Amino acid sequence: MRKKMGAKIVAFGLSAVMLLGLTACSGSADSSNADNGEGSENELHEITLQVGSDSALAGLEEVCKLAESEIGIKVDIEYTVAGTDTDNLIKTRLSTGDLADVLVYSPGALLMTLNPSEHFIDLSEYDFVDKLDETYKSAVSDDNGVYGVPMGTTRAGAVMYNKNLYDELGLEVPKTWDEFLSNCDKIEAAGKNAIICTMGTSYTIQVPVLGDMYNVLADNPDFISEFEKGEVGFADIPEGVTSFQKLADTVPYYQDGYTAATYDDGCEMLVSGDYGHWIMLTSALTNISSLYSDNINDIGVFAIPGDDPENVGITAWMPNGLYGNKDSDKQEDIVKFLEFFVSEKAIETYLANDAVTGPLCVKGVEYPENTPEAVTNDMQSYYDSGKVSLAQEFLTQVKGSATTEVCSSLITGQYNVEQAAEAYDDDCWKQAEQLGIK
Amino acid sequence: MKKKSVYSYWFLVPMLVIYVVLFIIPIAISFFFSLTNWTFDGWSFCGIENFKTFFTEPSLYSSIGNTFIYAFLTSGLKVVLSFLIALFLTSGIKTKTFLRSVVFFPNLVSMIAVGLTFKAILNPTKGILNQFLGVLGIDGRDWLGDVSTALYSVIGVDVWKGLSIATVIFIAGIKSIDTTYIEAAKIDGANGWQLLKSIIFPLCRPAMNSVILLSLIGGLKSFDLIWAMTGGGPGYATDVIASVIYKQYAAGYYGLSTAGNVLMYAMIAVIAFPLQKFLLKAEEG
Repeated sequence: MRKKMGAKIVAFGLSAVMLLGLTACSGSADSSNADNGEGSENELHEITLQVGSDSALAGLEEVCKLAESEIGIKVDIEYTVAGTDTDNLIKTRLSTGDLADVLVYSPGALLMTLNPSEHFIDLSEYDFVDKLDETYKSAVSDDNGVYGVPMGTTRAGAVMYNKNLYDELGLEVPKTWDEFLSNCDKIEAAGKNAIICTMGTSYTIQVPVLGDMYNVLADNPDFISEFEKGEVGFADIPEGVTSFQKLADTVPYYQDGYTAATYDDGCEMLVSGDYGHWIMLTSALTNISSLYSDNINDIGVFAIPGDDPENVGITAWMPNGLYGNKDSDKQEDIVKFLEFFVSEKAIETYLANDAVTGPLCVKGVEYPENTPEAVTNDMQSYYDSGKVSLAQEFLTQVKGSATTEVCSSLITGQYNVEQAAEAYDDDCWKQAEQLGIK
Repeated sequence: MKKKSVYSYWFLVPMLVIYVVLFIIPIAISFFFSLTNWTFDGWSFCGIENFKTFFTEPSLYSSIGNTFIYAFLTSGLKVVLSFLIALFLTSGIKTKTFLRSVVFFPNLVSMIAVGLTFKAILNPTKGILNQFLGVLGIDGRDWLGDVSTALYSVIGVDVWKGLSIATVIFIAGIKSIDTTYIEAAKIDGANGWQLLKSIIFPLCRPAMNSVILLSLIGGLKSFDLIWAMTGGGPGYATDVIASVIYKQYAAGYYGLSTAGNVLMYAMIAVIAFPLQKFLLKAEEG
């Protein structure tokens, strides 16, 4: 009996080895084929590009098509989930070595959590990065190099408002927060809704707080460096608490059913003329211009005002960047594609197919004709007078993950303003500790 | 003489290998990583720091409370309601085969799909529930957006979906009762209530124990439905332990979320083992 069992085990072992051998053979055959393929120079070079988005990106797709005819690189675009799930996907792929050749991802704090010097191609030695706007360059760089080129234009976290409604009620663009609230009262008195809240798309509710960074920094220029060290938080300075107070101030003006309204609902409501304001990232202009192109110039933008009517400034977000995978064996093609991506022709094509939501990040490029007035008239004036600050996530890596929950707790009355500010600070510092930023 | 076993223990090997590779090893690894500061690029040892941080989590205590409310309420409702439905469906009604499939239907739909569907139904302005209530002249609420109703709305949906499997277990339990008991009781002149109290109820105890245990453990680790419907919100109002852990994981705090998982494992074990023992004892006695 025992002997038989032993023989069976040996037989099983042998067949296992044979199977392994077979797969090993086929594996090596595959890789030798791939080597042959690479050898031929005339063929179209293919690279893959990974982007987290819920909808197709016309600008990106058109530029990729152009790349095929212009520089002979065919880009295979893979859309993945958007939101925090995309972070998980990217981190998983980075640790298993499955990342696409080119990754589209946020610059600033989020990029830094990916340990860019380890995973992405350093572009600092190439001339084309000199074309990048300095602010953008700093958001895609660390001490070891420059890693990305911008896709699209900057955005601002600001108040988008319906200009028709403002004209109808004879309202002026507010220069202080109190003026803003009095405008809201007048809109409500006229039987319309003053402020749109789209809690159904949860990230949108943080914009009133995060978009107030200009006002926080106006009186506290050293805030960020002290915040990074964990010395001073939002709860410790009056301007920081005010950012959360502003969110609380807006709550009574929200429309019915705001907890379930989504981002798309917000766009529709804003152009309808029955709603006054939406405190949102101006990237919503892209959506509005593609869905309601006739109404795009009904929408205006002003910065979230502070207390000083002489010092009203806007808080800006940097566009996503394209980063080259350092572990890919197609380094040359990747760099060639990134260089092409910031060429004049590519940018022109991109902007023709995607709305301009703020000033550009590449030097010497003009606004295209289809640029919304909200950008050319309203937003540009802040940039011209230098009244711009970057949002927190581009100033420091210390940015918590639970901002949405904190804001939502404040809106639904589970936190008061001070508690919200404290919870926000604690969340940011916890992140710094967990990700080893300190 | 030593009696030889009919089957060799080697038969256990495939299952044992699968169990060790897929369960024991990951559990051991997760115990280890719960003691480290673990990023996707590497790890460093940090002792019990993660457990300390986990206990300072702002929503931890409310989420533990929510977890218990969720588990005990869903479990209790499922036991009572599904027992009644099972009684009804094992009685002499004509359409019972059809009704049984109807009751079982929710179980065929995935939890996420159920969650998203009910999220649309419960929408405060566009959802059909509030529109329906409006026709009746009742002002509907903001079911999922209101802190005071959000958790209970999710519980209601969970019960709706979970009833099916509990009912099937109860039907099986009731059907397995030997009809001679019932006949004997009837001959002795037992009325419907006595029949239920003294025959059916005690004899389908094993089925009831399975339902209690399964639904309670399911409730304690419930995550998918809550995530699809509220994402733990508004604020932290519907956060349960599993969603707190998921959010930590999503933020990239792998060590911390692993520590949370170890704690959740311990908590479920502490509740489930004594409960099972108690229920088994009750069953035997």
